Order: sequence, then C-alpha cells, then structure tokens
Amino acid sequence: MKRKKIIIIAIVLIAIISAAFVYNYVFNSEHRNIAEEQASAKVASADLFTEFQTDETSATARYLDKVVEITGKVSLVEETGLVLNNAIQVNFIQGTMPEISLQKSIIVKGRCVGYDELLEMVKIDQATVITNTP
Amino acid sequence: MKKVNHTLVVLLIVGVLSAMNGVIAQGKYIDKTGNIAFEASEELFEPVKAKNESVTVILNTETSEIAALALMKSFRFKNSLMEEHFNENYIESETFPKATFKGKLTDFSFSDLTEQDRDITVNGTIELRGKEKQIQTILKVKKSTDAAIEIKGLFIVTPEDFDIDIPSVVRNKIAKEIIVSLDFKLVKR
Repeated sequence: MKRKKIIIIAIVLIAIISAAFVYNYVFNSEHRNIAEEQASAKVASADLFTEFQTDETSATARYLDKVVEITGKVSLVEETGLVLNNAIQVNFIQGTMPEISLQKSIIVKGRCVGYDELLEMVKIDQATVITNTP
Repeated sequence: MKKVNHTLVVLLIVGVLSAMNGVIAQGKYIDKTGNIAFEASEELFEPVKAKNESVTVILNTETSEIAALALMKSFRFKNSLMEEHFNENYIESETFPKATFKGKLTDFSFSDLTEQDRDITVNGTIELRGKEKQIQTILKVKKSTDAAIEIKGLFIVTPEDFDIDIPSVVRNKIAKEIIVSLDFKLVKR
C-alpha cells in the first residue's frame, strides 16, 4: 500500500517536472545563435545586391532570415558595422566590432534581414568575421 | 589654343555640376541606426514589445520631407517565440518584409533649431502589409552639440489599421492600441 503511494507520487512528480521542461523549452527557448549556424549560401556582395535589385520578391524568398556568407570589399567602416562595395550594410553582434581596414577584402557571415530601398543596400545583422586581414 | 579652350569649358562644366550637386545634397540628414520600439502589453500578461535599432531615416532640411524604413526582421523581442509569431503569423514578414513612412514636417526650419527640444508636427503615411495609414504626431526635435538633428516622438496604431488579425485565444493579452516610439539621430551627409 505504502509502496503504491510512493510510486504514484513519483510518477506525478516526474510528470510535473517534464511538463515544466517542455513549457520552458517551448515558451522560453533561446534566440538563434547566428554565429554558430552554418551559412546556407555563399555569395559575393555584388551578386547579392544585384539579385535584390533585379527581383526583390524572389531574392527575399531566397535570403530573408537565412545565414549567408558574403565576400566583399570594405567601402565604409562604422561604429558597429561596415559597408561592403557600397551595397551591403553589415552590422556585427553587439560589442564584437572587429578591427577593419578600408578597401580590404573581407568575408563575413550574418543573417539577411532584407533590402532597404532608402539606403539602396541589402542589410545583414548579427554578423561575424570569417576571414579578415586588417 | 582651341584645345586649351575645350579643356577649360569641360572644367567649367564639371565645376558648375559639382557645385550644383553640393547645393542639392546640402540639406540631407541621415540616420542608419534609428530606434523604433513598439509596445502592446496588457497588464498582468507577459509584455508584448520589441525594438528595432537599425531603422533608416532621411530628412531633407530644405523641403522638410522625411522618410523612414524599418525591416520587420530587425525587430527583436525578448521572447524568441513571440518574435517568431510576430514574423510568421501577424506581420507575415516573408511577404511584407518592411514598413515605410513618408511625410513632411510642418513649420520646420533648420536654422530655427536649438539645443532645446522644439515641438514639430509631422504628417505622413505609414505603409505596412500593403496597407496605408495616415499619421499625424508631434515630435520633439533639437540640434545636438555635434550638429546632428535629434528627433523623438511616439504615435499610436491599431492591428486593424494594417489588417492584422489577432486570434481570440490571445486577444486579451495584446493591447488594442499599440504605442510606437521613435528615437533618431540624423547626421549630415
């Protein structure tokens, strides 16, 4: 009798704990870690820009929210980011702005967030440097 | 002699053109890292709010025209699931990846700006999810010590303005009126 009770209590406890874990997993799951994700495409900055300029809808479907690896030439260095070939606006993960030299070739990885027609640039956020020679 | 004349004419044209370009470009102020935040929280429920720190804003101080663009995927929520729902179910950011604003400041003159906040009315149209909404609000505008233009303000929109359907299960957890606040710092380009 006593044994049965203990087993029931144990089962109930396990059920509660696993429910809490599932709840936590679903409702408080972590944000994506872009730096650790594999890039789904590797592309030159000029090509990425041309794709968005010629057909924004299909380029959006192809790249939006995807992790891309981009090769380009640094045309502007800013406080938290840089511009590649006057066409791609790249923002680095907060507090990780690397040392960058103008006009140097660089490869970065980040999440594509879309095309900004005011700037006429494709925007990349949460970027990290793949190769860089400052 | 003729050749020299030719070069002079070309030089003159180039000179005039670049001077004109200077005049046209003179009144352009831009912010590439503008902040827009919105909040639709209801008391007792988990806060519904997000922030976008890479909004583009361009102000032409000669024509008083102002334009802003926010990419929807740049809105960050604390809760990743909420961010997913925002993008997939409410905004449908794969189909409608951005929100734009085009408008005009009334009674705005750059030379009147001081380092004190000044109330300036803005009128314009927000476009989101293929729907347009007229907006009028009062902004606080000032010149900062480093000669940038600082703009702060807020306005209210509703989900119906942009045909966003809130399912009945979560209807009481999301406010009927959404407060959108903005904070821009525009530098001369």
